[in-house]
Amino acid sequence: MAPPEVHHLFHHSIADHSCSADRKTLAVARESNVELYTRSGNSYVLQDELTGHDKLVTGVDIAPNSGRIVTCSQDRNAYVWEPSPEGWKPTLVLLRINRAATCVRWSPSETKFAAGSGARLIAICHFEEEDNWWVSKHLKKPIRSTITSVGWHPNSVLLAAGSTDGHARVFSSFIKGIDARPEPSVWGERLPFNTVCGEYLNNTAGWVHGVAFSPSGDSLAFVAHDSSLTVVYPSGPEQPPRAIINLTTQMLPFLGLIWITENEIVAAGYDCEAYKLQGDEQGWQLTGSVEAKTRPGIQDGREESALNMFRQMDLKGKTKDDTKLTTVHQNTIGTVRVHAGGPGGVTKFSTSGVDGRFVIWNL
Amino acid sequence: MTSVQQNWRTINVDALDPDSPANFDLSTLTPSAPSVATADVQALTAQIRQLLRGGDFEGALRGALDTAPYGADGRGKEIHLATVIEILQSIRQSEMSPILSRIYQSEGGSEVLDTLMKYIYRGMALNSSHTPSGPKAISPQPTGFSQISHRSLGGDTSGQAMSVLLSWHEKVVEIAGPGSIARVMTDRRTV
Repeated sequence: MAPPEVHHLFHHSIADHSCSADRKTLAVARESNVELYTRSGNSYVLQDELTGHDKLVTGVDIAPNSGRIVTCSQDRNAYVWEPSPEGWKPTLVLLRINRAATCVRWSPSETKFAAGSGARLIAICHFEEEDNWWVSKHLKKPIRSTITSVGWHPNSVLLAAGSTDGHARVFSSFIKGIDARPEPSVWGERLPFNTVCGEYLNNTAGWVHGVAFSPSGDSLAFVAHDSSLTVVYPSGPEQPPRAIINLTTQMLPFLGLIWITENEIVAAGYDCEAYKLQGDEQGWQLTGSVEAKTRPGIQDGREESALNMFRQMDLKGKTKDDTKLTTVHQNTIGTVRVHAGGPGGVTKFSTSGVDGRFVIWNL
Repeated sequence: MTSVQQNWRTINVDALDPDSPANFDLSTLTPSAPSVATADVQALTAQIRQLLRGGDFEGALRGALDTAPYGADGRGKEIHLATVIEILQSIRQSEMSPILSRIYQSEGGSEVLDTLMKYIYRGMALNSSHTPSGPKAISPQPTGFSQISHRSLGGDTSGQAMSVLLSWHEKVVEIAGPGSIARVMTDRRTV
């Protein structure tokens, strides 16, 4: 397994990151701007800056096919940025929310996006050709608290959302004229806008940090602040799910997760490293860290001379420098994203976090 | 005229907004715990004491934690807390880790240790607020930390209970990891 590719972009927290389809462009949310990096050789070089928001940017997402970038911020606005000969052209999207926007994601069809917010609603936005304007429709009921994360189903109609009220929910975001009528699935057959297809709570009712549909879209996983992973296997509309697996871990809570295959998940969070989890309807287990702990040069890799050792003892009262974590990320990981590989099996994924690092991992 | 006299700042605007969380019963969001009568808790305590007298510490601990009365009132919860603390105090230090790892490996063991962690924290809270000389015993220190003083004057028993709880805490974290602490802070079912 090749070692991870580490890019220390800056000494500031990264709220969210996203890569273009060819992985040449990287967008990271830094304070109230979004920085665009271009890959040259083995590193990322700062290319452009998207300025427009006047408060912390909380979400950024690049649509893989159209290349459009959507950003959302605590200033309660979202922008859609389109490439033009004069640079990136922003279009303001009125989300009509009175609290911060917390997360944003394009639907797989790229015709609409979902923005979660602290106003206890999710804004589903689509472009209205006639008015030349982005329109937002609200998913409101029965959300009782801030939305922390959203995740799209492959059919672009169903949307999963995690909330601080402890629930992970599955909604229909069907918009007439934009979406094709979805195939009937385990989540339901008739799906008018704001249909609640599922509402799940784990034992402790802790905040939900991350949600994701499996590659097939037939199961849902979410991570919560009680250091647990919950996987839901629905059996059909209006029926109790076939199985809900709740795996409590020994570690600190996870913040984000991605599915690798139908039976594998990678999750990362406050422990500063990514973990692999494996399982099916019978149960899930943690299989271990993605990091190889024996990586050379991270801990007592270099031979210390006796002189150096005593000098360190004299200066610092200890010989080992323990101000560094043994993990690649030196602080909480906030975002986990697929980097390479399709629904059949992800081969690379990327993480970013509070330490300003962007890391590409090989599986 | 009236608008000038009205003190707008004192109006609770949340109460007037039907969408406001102030007008929403938050308890409906959490899993409901069946209510438990205090008498039932007392009966349970008697059963657990029986096990304890018989020397079955592990059974008593497991029994007490499996039946944590989340739905009981304050009095019932207090009785159960006293029972759990009594069990914890009667188990020898050398037996803690073996008992905990056996419980952890058994079915649903992770959740049992989470419950134990809740009782450990609850016990610590109780000990620090119920010192015999009352709140006066806690004196703020210049360091910013509060310290319980007068250990020798009757605070001794509480100090001892605290040290038992601290060593249990250490052992539980060794086995169930920091995740168990995160779950105590997150869980809406309190003991």
